[in-house]
Amino acid sequence: MSEKIQGNIAIPGIAIGKIMKVGQSLDGYMAAYTPGSAEEELSKLEEAIDTISAAIDESVEAMRAAGQDEQAEIMEAHSFLLMDPMLTDGMNDKTREMGHAPKAVLEAAQECAEMLAGMDDEYMRERSADVKDIGRRIARHLLGVKEPEIGEEPVVLCGFEVEPSAIANIPDDKIAGVIMGQGSTTCHAVIIAKSRAITTVVGLENRVEDIPEGVKVLLDGNEGLVLVNPSADELVAYEAKIKAQQEEQKRLDALKDLPAETTDGVKVQLAANIGLPEDAEAAAKFGNQGVGLFRSEFLFMGRENIPDEDLQFEAYKRAIVACKGETCVIRTMDIGGDKPLAYLNIPHEDNPFLGYRAIRISLERPALFMPQLKGILRAGVYGKAAIMCPMVINVDEIKAVREAVNKAMAELEAEGKEYSKDVELGIMVETPAAAVMTPVLAKYVDFFSIGTNDLVQYTLAVDRVNPQISKLYDHFNPAVLQLIYRTIKSGVDNGKWVGMCGEMASDPYAAVILMAMGITELSMSAPSIPKVKEQIRSVSMDEAKAHLERVMTMETGAEIREYLHSKI
Amino acid sequence: MQELNLKVLNKPGLHARPAKELVKFNKGIESDVVIKFNGKSANIKSMMAVMALGAKQDAEVTVTIEGPDEADVAKAVTEMFANGFGFPDEL
Repeated sequence: MSEKIQGNIAIPGIAIGKIMKVGQSLDGYMAAYTPGSAEEELSKLEEAIDTISAAIDESVEAMRAAGQDEQAEIMEAHSFLLMDPMLTDGMNDKTREMGHAPKAVLEAAQECAEMLAGMDDEYMRERSADVKDIGRRIARHLLGVKEPEIGEEPVVLCGFEVEPSAIANIPDDKIAGVIMGQGSTTCHAVIIAKSRAITTVVGLENRVEDIPEGVKVLLDGNEGLVLVNPSADELVAYEAKIKAQQEEQKRLDALKDLPAETTDGVKVQLAANIGLPEDAEAAAKFGNQGVGLFRSEFLFMGRENIPDEDLQFEAYKRAIVACKGETCVIRTMDIGGDKPLAYLNIPHEDNPFLGYRAIRISLERPALFMPQLKGILRAGVYGKAAIMCPMVINVDEIKAVREAVNKAMAELEAEGKEYSKDVELGIMVETPAAAVMTPVLAKYVDFFSIGTNDLVQYTLAVDRVNPQISKLYDHFNPAVLQLIYRTIKSGVDNGKWVGMCGEMASDPYAAVILMAMGITELSMSAPSIPKVKEQIRSVSMDEAKAHLERVMTMETGAEIREYLHSKI
Repeated sequence: MQELNLKVLNKPGLHARPAKELVKFNKGIESDVVIKFNGKSANIKSMMAVMALGAKQDAEVTVTIEGPDEADVAKAVTEMFANGFGFPDEL
């Protein structure tokens, strides 16, 4: 039997490979190192910096050529830091003082990293791990530690922290997975792994030390589980699991080009939720019809300034073109105190989810909102675009947005830029206030899209990330269903279309009753589309309506869930 | 040597963007430019050092400039501080 170590899910998938340890202690090498004279140490240091700097530049170029822009950008930051005199002077001064280049390098990098970690600038704080990564790389070079050799068999990188550069430097066919002791799923290493779909498990803490170099591991990224030295039986069992997954996938793939309609021919649009424009292209393999939620805030994150109108225009255009004539719903920036961006300068808040965020910021800051609206209106020329406003609680807000859109159009007109006059304007119904007021709001919008993640959280007063109360978080709670039903009816009564873009839309059981309520669009993460489609194609509208009628008489979410799971 | 007393106008202070602009600017001049604030000093050739000053909006900093082109540099630096280092959206 293998030794099983439970970690946390970071990037799903199943991977088998040989452990390659990274970020290991350099103590042994340090002890074996004999420093030369101060002059010799300094010239060794210079050579090491030049070598590593050239290697970084070379890999940045290779990544750009391979279209791995995200990865390239992270490595470019390394190159920038390595040119900063604060780091290089520190390394030189300490080498002169200590007469021991490798030790000096680590110490200088550590000092810089600590300084950066203490800054109140998010961009620089994130660079702290990068500086340490650079320091270790130079030290390894000085100590003559061989860069890990990669054989035929794919490797699973393992360390408390895995340096982004370590992942970046291994080609796709040679890296099977990543295991980390630390628990963050938003660090640079995970972002790089995600951009290349490398199965990753994090949060093993010190237990990473118990995994020896070179052993075979099975990584179950779907469960956050690491099996060290998997037995033949376990490998067989996992093979069966992988096979079952593949078979289900085949069945679902076959649905790709079939319409999402009930057995009696009532259709619903199944759209994709995306974060970046390229996701809209990737969604096509799941048979999406357009985009129901483009989370535009991703364009605003990981930067030092507001993305300008042209940059936003290009991003929206790319997504809209990928929608091939179907609607692309772009949600305006939804950021608040939970994801503070230095350039937004949002003061600390105790309760950012009820704070200064989303449309509340956009409406107060034209310098932020105008480039976004203008970018969307211009991109609208290339297909069918829609603007969706998050966090709306009253009629005044949607009126103000309409005014801002008119102003954006007037400015574009004056600037002689081409733009679309047919961009729809709607709101994300995610506050109980908006849901209650939908009969009134419907007069001012072209559509509603129900954002269930927040609607559930705000209606039930249940923080969705607090594990202690997670069982109270339920989209089938009758209070939530009443608000959803009300919203859909308000839309239908006023001739406006209603969609949904929260997690609930990807629940196949929910899809059936939502269609019975009159919803015409469901937007979800693209891989969920086939399962929802399969469910919809198995029921008739009459059946769905009968289920809805029953469900609306029930008193608890548990009862509803049980009913749907047994009857559909 | 020239000494200037300047005020940081950028809302986010002397953060990554202005610091990067200073590093770029430094490459084209001969003088040494040092910013002093709150008992710390930073040569503008180092982005990290400039940021480590922790100079926020409205901070009053002292800038010393020494070198053959110091008069021109002084003018240019004054201008950079005044126009938000070329980032009008931060003013």
